[in-house]
Amino acid sequence: MVEDLLHYIVDYGLSRGASYVEARYHKNWSEAIIFRNNSVLGIGREIDEGIGIRVIVNGTLGFTATTSLDKEIVRNTLDKLIDQTRSLSTFMKEKIEFADAKLGRAVYEVSPRKKFDTMSIEEKIKYGKELWSIASKSISEARVSVLMIQYFESIEEKIIVNSDGAYVNSKIPRIGLFYNIVINHPAKGSIQKWEQLGASGGLEWIDVWKLHENIPNSVKTYEKILLTAQSPPKDTVDVVVGSEIVGLIAHESCGHPSEADRIWGREAAQAGKSFIKKGMIGEKIGTKYATVIDDPTIPGSYGFYLYDDEGVPARARYLYKEGYINEHLHNRWTAKVFGTESNASARAMNYRSEPIIRMANTYLKPGDYSFEELIEDIKHGVYIKSFMEWNIDDERWSQRYVGLEAYLIENGELKDFVKNPVLEITTKSFYSSIDAADRELKFYAATCGKGEPSQGVPVWTGGPDVRLRNIKLGVSL
Amino acid sequence: MNTSYSIDLIHRFVNKTIETGFDEVAVLLYNNRETMIKIANSQPSVAQNWSEISIGIYLVKNKRIFILELKPVSIDLLLKPVEELVKYADKVEESMLYAPLPEPRTVSKLKDLVSNKVLNYIDNPYELVELSIESAHREKIDYIAGTIDLWFVNKILVTSKGVELSEDKTGYEIYIRAFKEPDGSGQWCTCGIDIDKKSVEETSLYASRYAVESINRTSIEPGKYDVILSPLVFGNLLEYVSRMTSALSIFMGMSMFMNNNPGDKVGSEKLTVHDMPRINELPNATSFDDEGIPTFNKPLIEKGVWKTILHNTKTAHNFGGETTGNAGWIYPHPWNIVVEPGDYSLDELISNVRKGVFITNNWYTRLQNYVEGLFSTISRDALFLIENGEVKKPVEKIRIADKLSNIIKNIDGLTKDTYRIMWWEVRIPSKLPFVLIRDVNITKHML
Repeated sequence: MVEDLLHYIVDYGLSRGASYVEARYHKNWSEAIIFRNNSVLGIGREIDEGIGIRVIVNGTLGFTATTSLDKEIVRNTLDKLIDQTRSLSTFMKEKIEFADAKLGRAVYEVSPRKKFDTMSIEEKIKYGKELWSIASKSISEARVSVLMIQYFESIEEKIIVNSDGAYVNSKIPRIGLFYNIVINHPAKGSIQKWEQLGASGGLEWIDVWKLHENIPNSVKTYEKILLTAQSPPKDTVDVVVGSEIVGLIAHESCGHPSEADRIWGREAAQAGKSFIKKGMIGEKIGTKYATVIDDPTIPGSYGFYLYDDEGVPARARYLYKEGYINEHLHNRWTAKVFGTESNASARAMNYRSEPIIRMANTYLKPGDYSFEELIEDIKHGVYIKSFMEWNIDDERWSQRYVGLEAYLIENGELKDFVKNPVLEITTKSFYSSIDAADRELKFYAATCGKGEPSQGVPVWTGGPDVRLRNIKLGVSL
Repeated sequence: MNTSYSIDLIHRFVNKTIETGFDEVAVLLYNNRETMIKIANSQPSVAQNWSEISIGIYLVKNKRIFILELKPVSIDLLLKPVEELVKYADKVEESMLYAPLPEPRTVSKLKDLVSNKVLNYIDNPYELVELSIESAHREKIDYIAGTIDLWFVNKILVTSKGVELSEDKTGYEIYIRAFKEPDGSGQWCTCGIDIDKKSVEETSLYASRYAVESINRTSIEPGKYDVILSPLVFGNLLEYVSRMTSALSIFMGMSMFMNNNPGDKVGSEKLTVHDMPRINELPNATSFDDEGIPTFNKPLIEKGVWKTILHNTKTAHNFGGETTGNAGWIYPHPWNIVVEPGDYSLDELISNVRKGVFITNNWYTRLQNYVEGLFSTISRDALFLIENGEVKKPVEKIRIADKLSNIIKNIDGLTKDTYRIMWWEVRIPSKLPFVLIRDVNITKHML
């Protein structure tokens, strides 16, 4: 029935003079349990369901969304959209057109190995409360004052139909967990870490994440940092950047500036522009280790999909390749503007959001070192394993990462903790300073924000640990 | 407007929900009509409009709290998830946040919350699009980008305690960013309940002027500077500070006020910040909060002294205080931020700076530690070096990397003119002056 309505929308839109019509039924179901220390604060469930419609009329792009599945209401909504879009076309200097693309006709689904209902609500609550119990008892000198945990599970269902022949029906379950740890010491102050875990699939990820081991181990480490960390060295040192930060850097300073809509200027007033300009493919950006891949098709990944929201089949995109700018992220509109093909980057957060160019799972390609080999010839250096504070400018050039778990390296060995070392560096300097990468590829979950209204979509960031030579670190207050 | 969701209908739904076994129920419905035109390269990049209903349902059984957020395709589907959740009720433990929903109180309704001009522009936004683009190009800029967002909201709250309230409201948010080669850019924004063309025009003109004035930038060295922040930057940083006054932020370890008490001096005597839900010029104005408590204006910080923890009835019960009419069923939050103006003109503020930076816009504020308030943020758009009381030259991007507590303590002057601010990086509508802050730590990339 919904599919009939989607086909009706496409046909009716074309009959009203649109040159392109896309109708997407989109349902997001999610359930969350929120814990604070030993208590459950509450349980939330969110269901949003509706149809997002995009049209091109007289070379102008219009989008509307409705929660109604009533044919008459949908038709009225579409009439209004087409009229408004047509009226705006008088302001257009460059008409919107889509590049040709091979579009999918497919049905696919991610099947969790352990379905959400194989664990009862009582067991899930017990799991969350145990984390507090273990974490709070794991240290003695400092105190865990807050452990906030938000556990969630979700199912995203979409049916995409467009006037160029796409039909994609998909269902993706996801699981995730956020937590915020605050550790206090009366004399030393506080330390805080915010973590996010997420993947597509089901409860099998609970076993993978091993939080019963990892959270108390982290808490013990944070206590030591709070009690013992020293200021970072002021002289120039070699720095090993941990995979958690490398993944973020790949996302922020390669993925975002490679978004072709940003390069064109469509996000200029919101997420900003890009240091990459049209025509820069082939320009040098770093050493041979600078290969950054964005791949939506990684099984189990948080940003997993096989077809984008324009119906284009997904594939791995090599954004930087062996030190050179290689490929941008495209939808069908930017593909037309740039004279290329879409590489399936159009994603929408929910039914009320237009599909825009997004990353999926962005990572720096691993190298062939072991971690021990990375640090063995460093006489004096710093290993920055994790972070809290970061930011990057609106052209994705100047960025700052403040380490949380960080170590001095002396004569090839990890030594004392270093407090809040600051890596403040340009994109080119970072990728040009990598002289080695280890072979362990780790992924981290994130929610990437872009668009207006802002859309948060699930992504993985990832990479190996990498070594940078001759770096001057800053000091946080 | 879809009028099928009346108070009566919601009332009947609340009764049905009680019949499923819940002890307390609140339903908050937003019936929304919105048009947003996004502009890029001085032309519309997309016209978006929405007509939709969002329903929040707060449910309690035996002091267990459940919240449903629904965008239903039909009202007939509302009861099913409620019936599913009631089965959880005896499997979950009491919420430590629980307090009974409040009894109905007398709500004095705010007037003039609906603008016919905004209602008209929702259907016909073309004049605003043209005005924004045309007025920006009166300066010799290359192009603009921006957003024109206009909405009407009908809000209905019904609770099992007998609260039955409804409110209609319009609102708008406009922000424009102008660019001039090789490196000039500027941004301004405005927001409100009623719209006037002058504000729209000024938004474009301010953005364009900053773009023109900021070309050919040079770099400055990091270090301590006095800074003048535009209302956009001040609004972004104060949003973090204001959210930290929420009881839930304190409770969850996300506040630098965790180690303070109301009455403590936390900022400069020159700083007074209010939460003002009852000001009908900012778009989050409302007569009642999500629990049906009448809203009231209140100081968050008064002459540098922290005055108020923002509460709903649950956090108030937990902290031993009174609700401040700021619910959020779970998270109490400020409605509109208003900073009391100072005595200066912008030129007078600048004349009080020996070595400083004038920052007109920022983004990407992130914290290393909320409890310590340790943060950095990076500038974007026009940025100027001030020397010996005069603006000397446009400069390249820098960061403020400091503590939020230092920022509010070191305020040394505010302008007498204030501006209505809301954009991507300032989500709480705010009315603010330019501000002078002494001895702020400035960093930049050195690699």
